[in-house]
Amino acid sequence: MRGMRANLFAPALFFVLILLPHAAGSEQFLSSGEIQRCLGCHAKPGLSITFQNNETQAASVDPGKFKGSVHGSLACSACHADFAEGKHPARTFKSKTQYRIKSALVCRRCHTDEQIKKSAVHAELLAEEQQGKALVCTNCHGSHAIARISGKGAPASEEQYCMRCHERRTTLRFKNGERRALKVDLLLLKTSVHGKLDCSDCHFGFSSDEHPQRNFRTARDFTLASSESCRRCHFDKYTKTLEGIHYALLSSGRMNAPVCIDCHGSHEIARAGRERTASAKRCQRCHSKEYDAYAKSVHGNALFNEHNQDVPVCADCHTAHTILDPFSMDYRERIPEMCSNCHAKKEIVGKYGLSTDVVKTYLSDFHGVTLGLYKKQRGENYKPGKPIAVCTDCHGRHNITSTVGPDATIVKKNLLKRCQTCHPDANEHFPDTWLSHYGPSLTRAPLVFIAGIIFKIFIPIMILGLVLQVLLHIWRYAINR
Amino acid sequence: MKDKYRRFSTARIIEHLVQIATFSVLVATGLSQKFYSFDISVWFILKLGGIDTVRIIHRAAGLLFAFAAIVHISAGVVGIIIRKWQPSIIITKNDFTDAVHNIKYYLGIENFPAASGKYNYTQKFEYWGILTGGLLMMGTGAVLWQPVFFTRFMTGELVPLAKVLHSEEALVVLLIIAGWHIYNAIFSPEVFPLNVSIFTGYIPRERMVREHLLELARLEGRTPEELREQMQKDAIQEREAESEEVRRRD
Repeated sequence: MRGMRANLFAPALFFVLILLPHAAGSEQFLSSGEIQRCLGCHAKPGLSITFQNNETQAASVDPGKFKGSVHGSLACSACHADFAEGKHPARTFKSKTQYRIKSALVCRRCHTDEQIKKSAVHAELLAEEQQGKALVCTNCHGSHAIARISGKGAPASEEQYCMRCHERRTTLRFKNGERRALKVDLLLLKTSVHGKLDCSDCHFGFSSDEHPQRNFRTARDFTLASSESCRRCHFDKYTKTLEGIHYALLSSGRMNAPVCIDCHGSHEIARAGRERTASAKRCQRCHSKEYDAYAKSVHGNALFNEHNQDVPVCADCHTAHTILDPFSMDYRERIPEMCSNCHAKKEIVGKYGLSTDVVKTYLSDFHGVTLGLYKKQRGENYKPGKPIAVCTDCHGRHNITSTVGPDATIVKKNLLKRCQTCHPDANEHFPDTWLSHYGPSLTRAPLVFIAGIIFKIFIPIMILGLVLQVLLHIWRYAINR
Repeated sequence: MKDKYRRFSTARIIEHLVQIATFSVLVATGLSQKFYSFDISVWFILKLGGIDTVRIIHRAAGLLFAFAAIVHISAGVVGIIIRKWQPSIIITKNDFTDAVHNIKYYLGIENFPAASGKYNYTQKFEYWGILTGGLLMMGTGAVLWQPVFFTRFMTGELVPLAKVLHSEEALVVLLIIAGWHIYNAIFSPEVFPLNVSIFTGYIPRERMVREHLLELARLEGRTPEELREQMQKDAIQEREAESEEVRRRD
């Protein structure tokens, strides 16, 4: 049926392409009277048609806009074929939609399917039409004020040009049958960090002249390919991700590992680090177990319930781009450093009554010293044989609880179990070998405190005594001579 | 009259050599752990192949040190009780009066230094300082090496205590050795450039007169006063001979 219609209109195309240049001048001459007469009524603003369902549609035409349009040299009856000199049939339509569908068929008399199919946007729309969805040219192109696709009369900006289609629900279909809506919310785009960019800054290869048709196997392939755009500007972040675990997973064939777009979004990209809660929630999409543990922890609780902006979110410890494998030795050895980013800074933890000595006491104790040296050994190509206890081994990872208040007992109670993971024969005395981040004092570890004091007094006295003895000896020897 | 006397047996000489070796290793590997943040410590630790290696070396040297110390103590106890050795290293009341006497001598109040037996009071204090310090280092070192084992019998707090004692006592022992022993055995003007008795086993008689008068008197069956008179006479004679020499040359 459609094929037949296309055949019927082939001569019409021929007519338009070959004869139009000659015909146009004479028709304009002939038809200027027709246009005048039509506009006699239709130039009046407020003129409208009412449909059976009481919807209305403006029937007035702006003469200026029409004259400036790409069809400005055509007579009215070139499109409105039913109407002519003294011929103004009364027609009834059920609804505005029905009217618009009917009217738009007129366009296809000149602009054949073969012709318009060349553009990817139209190809998609034609495919949809075959599935029964009406194709209404005027939805995108307008009616009397149709502009030239390129050149004179084109939209003022590239964005306007693209949005003529993409502000509507356009769909991209993939070989495996998946679909992806290509609708862009202009308001979100304008308020995003990229609000001032042109579409083709990211969608390179696309412009008002070019709209290449690309074929993707799956929607995921499309996302992966689209993410490639980001690195043209954000090359530093891109190279960082190359070291990260997500990229490693991706290159091992795990196509669901996140790329730029998965975390940052596409047209609605917000400024990084502004909304910490949102940042944490982004990770939740894949890491829900960790997120739930975090949400209940002392950090997560403060973030979600008190909107505390001091507490770390996922990216503060795992970093945003160079996300290391958290089970790697390299990551483990960085943990004290991560915690000290806040817990060694009085201006951050001081207001919660937390001591900044926690990092110092750890680093100067057996585990901390060993870890510090292991890190340096690593630089010398020496791999340490065993993991060393770091902050998270006692305090937990995502489920860190408070060390003050009722939760403190939980930490203490679990301590022996935590010790036993590396020291299996440890008994209940063993956790006390660690002075819990406190320096020794008379109330806490008095023996250690007193021993320290004794040596602090004894050693200087001994040095003084030795020096005096030596000096006196030399002095007497010199006198004897 | 002999011109030199046997001072140390071969066993003592070997013991001392073992002490030099183990002590040096313990100081090098221990200090670099105590002052772990210093560049030189890090350099040293990395050169030895990492902190694990350093700890293994330190503990091995500690074991050897402990073994030598136990042999030494056993030999001393057996020697004094069964073989009737002179308990010359035991600290007596005289050592305290000698100390006061020597300070007076240094200040010019006394004319002679305190006459001492085989070991003078500084040597005795040094010996006991090292011995008790060494025992403390052995005990605390064992606790630090095997904290899981030791906390079966004692409270956890004793482990950080052992750490403080081990680390601070190490400094004390080092100061005794570096500050006093090295001075007395190398830099003291009386023995400079090196007191070799502990390596050869012998001490010249002239040093016995000056440093171990009571011991010499005991060995030669004479009184200290006789020996001191003799020494002064010898000194005067020597000086006269020297001036004679000078005159002759002029």
